[in-house]
Amino acid sequence: MTPRRIVPLAIVVLLALVPLVFSDYFTGAVASKALYLGLAAASLTFLAGYGGMVSLAQTGLYGIAGFVMARFIVTNGMDPVVAALLALAVCVGFGVFYGALSCRSEGIYFLMITLALGVITYYFFAQVPSFGGHEGINGVRTPGWIGDPISDPAPMYYTALVCSVGAYALVRFVGGMPFGLALQGVRDDPVRMRALGYRIRLHRTLGFAAGALLAGVAGVLGTWHETRISPGTIDVASTIQLLVMAVIGGLYRLEGAWVGALAYTLLDTYTRGLTGRFETWIALIFLAILVVSPDGITGLWQAARDGVRRVRRPAPRAEGAG
Amino acid sequence: MSDPVLRVRGLSRRFGGVQAVDDVDLEVARGERRAVLGPNGAGKSTFFNLVAGDVAPSDGTIELFGRDVTRMSVRRRVRLGLGRTYQSSRVLGGLSVEDNLFLAVLGTQGGHFRPLPAGADARRRERARAVAERVGLGDRTAVDAGSLSHGEQRQLEIGLALAPDPQLLMLDEPAAGLSRAERQSLTRMLLGLDEAVTLILIEHDMDVALAVARRVTMLHQGALLLEGTPDEIRASRQVHEIYLGGARDG
Repeated sequence: MTPRRIVPLAIVVLLALVPLVFSDYFTGAVASKALYLGLAAASLTFLAGYGGMVSLAQTGLYGIAGFVMARFIVTNGMDPVVAALLALAVCVGFGVFYGALSCRSEGIYFLMITLALGVITYYFFAQVPSFGGHEGINGVRTPGWIGDPISDPAPMYYTALVCSVGAYALVRFVGGMPFGLALQGVRDDPVRMRALGYRIRLHRTLGFAAGALLAGVAGVLGTWHETRISPGTIDVASTIQLLVMAVIGGLYRLEGAWVGALAYTLLDTYTRGLTGRFETWIALIFLAILVVSPDGITGLWQAARDGVRRVRRPAPRAEGAG
Repeated sequence: MSDPVLRVRGLSRRFGGVQAVDDVDLEVARGERRAVLGPNGAGKSTFFNLVAGDVAPSDGTIELFGRDVTRMSVRRRVRLGLGRTYQSSRVLGGLSVEDNLFLAVLGTQGGHFRPLPAGADARRRERARAVAERVGLGDRTAVDAGSLSHGEQRQLEIGLALAPDPQLLMLDEPAAGLSRAERQSLTRMLLGLDEAVTLILIEHDMDVALAVARRVTMLHQGALLLEGTPDEIRASRQVHEIYLGGARDG
C-alpha cells in the first residue's frame, strides 16, 4: 500500500476510535459537532474549490433541511429517516432554485446574492409560526440506531463520521468524473468552457445543488444531534462562523473544512470557560492563521510537507519546454 | 464556391460609437486555408467573436455549414463543428493538460453532468493524449495547464480547438508571443492539418500567415478592404500603405 492510501485510512481508523478513547462529553460536544459542522463547511469548500463559488447561503440550506425534517418528525409524526430523505429532497430543490438565481453572477456579486438568500431563509424560519417561529422546533426524534445523543453520543458520532467520510470520498470521486472536471473547467475559464460546448449556468446551478445536498446532510445531522433546531442556528453570525471554519481549515482544500470545524469547536468549547472574550480570541486566531498561511491549517501542513521533501531530496529538475 | 462552410452577409457590429465590424460579406469554401489580416483595431477578433457566437451582430447574417446560425448559441455552433482559439490563451489552469483535452473531446459529445465513469471515457482519454502528442505536449499530459510556459499554453490552446475534430477551425493569432522555433513548428502543424478541415486564421506574423494561407482577406477599420491570394496581397499598394504607411504592427 502506498502512503497516499495509508494516511487517509489511518485517519479514519483513528477517528473511529474517538468514542472509545475520549469521554462522552468530548465525543458529543466536540467530535460529533466538529464532524457535522465540518460537513457544512465542506459544502462551502466544495463550491469554492471546485466551482469557484464562495457561497454564504450554505447555512440557509442547512436550515432548510433541518427545519423541514424537524417539522415532518414533530408535527407530522413521520419516521426520522423518511423525514430526513424528504427534507434533503426539498433542500436540493431549493439548491437548484438558489443556484439558478445566483449563478449568473460571479465574485462579490455572487457573494452578496447568496448572503441575501441566506438571510431571507433565516427570516422565513424566524417568522413563520408553522416552523416554530423564533422558538424553532424542539423534541426532534432521532432514528432508532442513534437513540438519545445526550446519554449515549457514540452512535450519533459514528453516523456523522460515516456521512462525513462518505461525503468526502464522493466529492473526491465525482471531482474526477465529467461533472466534476467540467465544474472545475467552468471555475477556471467559463468563456473557454462555453466555446467547448458546455452549458455554464446550468453546470454552475447543478454544482450549487450538489453543494446544497452536502449542507442539507449536515443540517439533518446537526438537528438530530441537538434534537432541536431554531433560527439562531442559521443566522448571519452562524453564516460567518461557517465561513471562518472553512477559511481557518483552508478554503480550497476539502479536508480543510473538517480541520477548521474541529479547531473552531475546540476553541468554542474550551476557551469559553477561560475567557469571556471568546469572539475576540477567535478573531485573533483567525487573523494569525491567515497572516501565517492564507491557505489555512491544511495549507500549513502542505507547506511543512513540501519543506521536508525539499530537505530530503533535491528539487526535481525543471523539464525542458517544447 | 457552391458549398461554403462559412458565409456572412452584411455583417456589422457596433460597440457604442465604434463600428468594429462594418458590412462585411465573406465566403469560405470547404477545405480552404484563409488568413484574415489587418492592423490592430481592424475588427478581426470581433469578426471571430461574431462567427463563434460570443458576440451578437448588430446587423447581418451568418451561415455555418449551410445553416443560418445568426441567433444560434455558442454551444450549438460548436456542435455543428466549429472550433476556435483565443488571442490570449484560455486554458483551464487548475486542470492537467490531459483533463483539459478530455473536456474538449467531451464538449461536443454530451454527458457533461455525468458523475459516474463510462466505458467511452477511456477512448476519450486516448484521444486527449493523441491530441496532446500532436500539438507537442505528449510528455506534459500530467502537468497543470496553469503551470505551462506561454508557448506550451498556446500549443494547448490549439489542442483544445482540435480535440473535438472540428470541421471549421478558427485560430486567433496562434503565433502570438511564440519563439522562432515555436513558430516554425506551428507552421508545420498547420500545414499538416487534414485537407477536409477548413482553417481561418488571424495572424500578424506574415511568415506564418502567408505560408499557411491560400487566400487572404484584408480588413481595415472594420470593413473588408481586399481579398486575394498571398501574392496579390504582397503586391497590393493599399496593403503596403496600411501596414507600412500607417501604424505598422506586428
